[in-house]
Amino acid sequence: MSGNAKLSVGGRILNRVSGGNLLLLLLRRWDARVALAILTLLALSGIAPGLFVGPLQTATTAEAAPLLPPSGAHLFGTDDLGRDLLNLTVHGARISLVVGALSAVITLLLGGGIGMIAGYRGGRTDALLMRIADTFLILPTFVLALILAPILRELIGDQTEILGIRTTLLTIVAVIGVTSWSSTARIVRSQTLSLRERTFVERARLVGLSPMRIIARHIFPNIRTVLVANGIVVIAGSILTESTLSFIGLGDPFQPSWGTILGNAQSAAAPSLGAWWFIMAPGGAILFTVIACTIVGNAIDELLDRDVRVRR
Amino acid sequence: MKLRGWLLGRVGGALATILMVLLLNFVLFRLMPGSPDRTLARNPRVSAEAIAAARVRWGLDKPLFPDQLVAYVGATLSGDFGYSVKYGGREVTSVIGEKIAPTLLIVGLGEIIALAAGIALGAWTGWRRGKFGDRVGTLSALILYSMPYFWLGMLLVTLFATTLGWLPTSGISTPGGPGGVAGIVDLLRHAALPIATIALGLIGQYAILLRSSVAEALREGYVLTARAKGLRDDRILRGHILPNALLPTVTLAALNAGYVIGGALTVEIVFSWPGLGLLTQEALQSRDYPVLQGIFLLLSISVVVANLLADLLYSRLDPRVRHGAAR
Repeated sequence: MSGNAKLSVGGRILNRVSGGNLLLLLLRRWDARVALAILTLLALSGIAPGLFVGPLQTATTAEAAPLLPPSGAHLFGTDDLGRDLLNLTVHGARISLVVGALSAVITLLLGGGIGMIAGYRGGRTDALLMRIADTFLILPTFVLALILAPILRELIGDQTEILGIRTTLLTIVAVIGVTSWSSTARIVRSQTLSLRERTFVERARLVGLSPMRIIARHIFPNIRTVLVANGIVVIAGSILTESTLSFIGLGDPFQPSWGTILGNAQSAAAPSLGAWWFIMAPGGAILFTVIACTIVGNAIDELLDRDVRVRR
Repeated sequence: MKLRGWLLGRVGGALATILMVLLLNFVLFRLMPGSPDRTLARNPRVSAEAIAAARVRWGLDKPLFPDQLVAYVGATLSGDFGYSVKYGGREVTSVIGEKIAPTLLIVGLGEIIALAAGIALGAWTGWRRGKFGDRVGTLSALILYSMPYFWLGMLLVTLFATTLGWLPTSGISTPGGPGGVAGIVDLLRHAALPIATIALGLIGQYAILLRSSVAEALREGYVLTARAKGLRDDRILRGHILPNALLPTVTLAALNAGYVIGGALTVEIVFSWPGLGLLTQEALQSRDYPVLQGIFLLLSISVVVANLLADLLYSRLDPRVRHGAAR
């Protein structure tokens, strides 16, 4: 959050770094290279887990003995049902990353939309929207998510799939999006506030463009980079929240994420049995993902920051 | 006069937030599955009259606004949070009440330790930025910051309780254990790992934030002045840099309270620590919505109050805040 606060200070000049440019600049830094390599590897296993470890093992298809420590046959050991943990973790990547990314998209849409409207309209709209945003910023939104998820689930039922994602997971996506948009909204609002005063926006207003068009054509393109930087951090946060919700038992047993596997480990009393391998692989995956996202986010922050400094 | 206006604004803001939480809770109550009339409506043999009677009995025949909302807010303000589904209709306030102390113990101590250690680590790494110690310290802070609390807890149990056998794996006391001083020692032995988990999970972000504010303060003119006066390094750090660099950390600690509580809930699950977190999980499993909402309301109000206190503290520490706000 501290990094993002920095972004909003020099807000007016940030758009100079464009998308493709940004990736090239990132690849020049060794820490960002390592982080991007980790993320690419994780994304690949998320896209085609079957290619690496075969189909997802279930209680019925698992062949190994339960709670085997790591060995040549099972690099990461097996869980309490005899499922291979490498298999589970690679398949978990798909769920964790997809749920994390979708939640982040909703968070950015909500936060970006609310932030732009508040910043552009100003006045009462702004005051009301930011009051709501501040409330969400302070509140224990995680607890709110805990209550919302089962309510939403009972309202829409959880026996169907949409695009191969079970609705249990979609409720988690919705709940994370609805509870975590506020910091994005704050950042986008402060960017919009300074953009609104720039001459090209004023000119658009004089020409008679509607507010919606001005936001779409002139404001949005200029906050895109800020959204990317914030988006990376939001994805990391969403993955952490998803893993926590699944750990508590709100995940889907048929599409286990890393958090779900850790929840299973907890109910199988893996820590007090000394089955460290049961928690190592899924937890390590979460850790690497979040660290990689944070490093990329920081790197983008620093690049934008330098961009601001150079142009001043 | 200015100060009073500023204070009133802050308190008013906090009250508005609490009112919004109440409104949110009210909407949630309406969305909730299992309201009396909906439950009855599922049974085809229940007559329409019986359903209508139930609606009158529970006040559901009245309009949502203002009647139902006023009734809900009135009941909540008078301390009536409804009844637990799981605990045979016990009042939510009494179910939640007995779980507060254990949670407060580990969250409170964890937060204090994290602040102290995070400030120390952040000051040290910020002071020595770019050097080897800073690299190691910053990397450890980043790793701790990126770990889910519950995973950290599971690792600590595996290492310190199961493998090394130094501390108990779970619970709050040894069953049939001793009383008196030995009982307190027993309690602390059980609390040690949960507290350590919360503290370690928090140290990272405090250290990262303080490091950057120390690094920023180092560029300020008053540090140069202090140097020119010939002050020793540790006096510059303690007397000049830290007082200024601490402010953002105070805000973060308060703003974060809600997030910390969320994390603490999962830590309790790992350690079977009988506090609000374990209660939350039980309530989730039995879909005990009144208890869940009670917990949300209680935690929200605590967090709002914590933020208000931090605001007041902040304005004492930094007069620029209240003058800026009153301008």
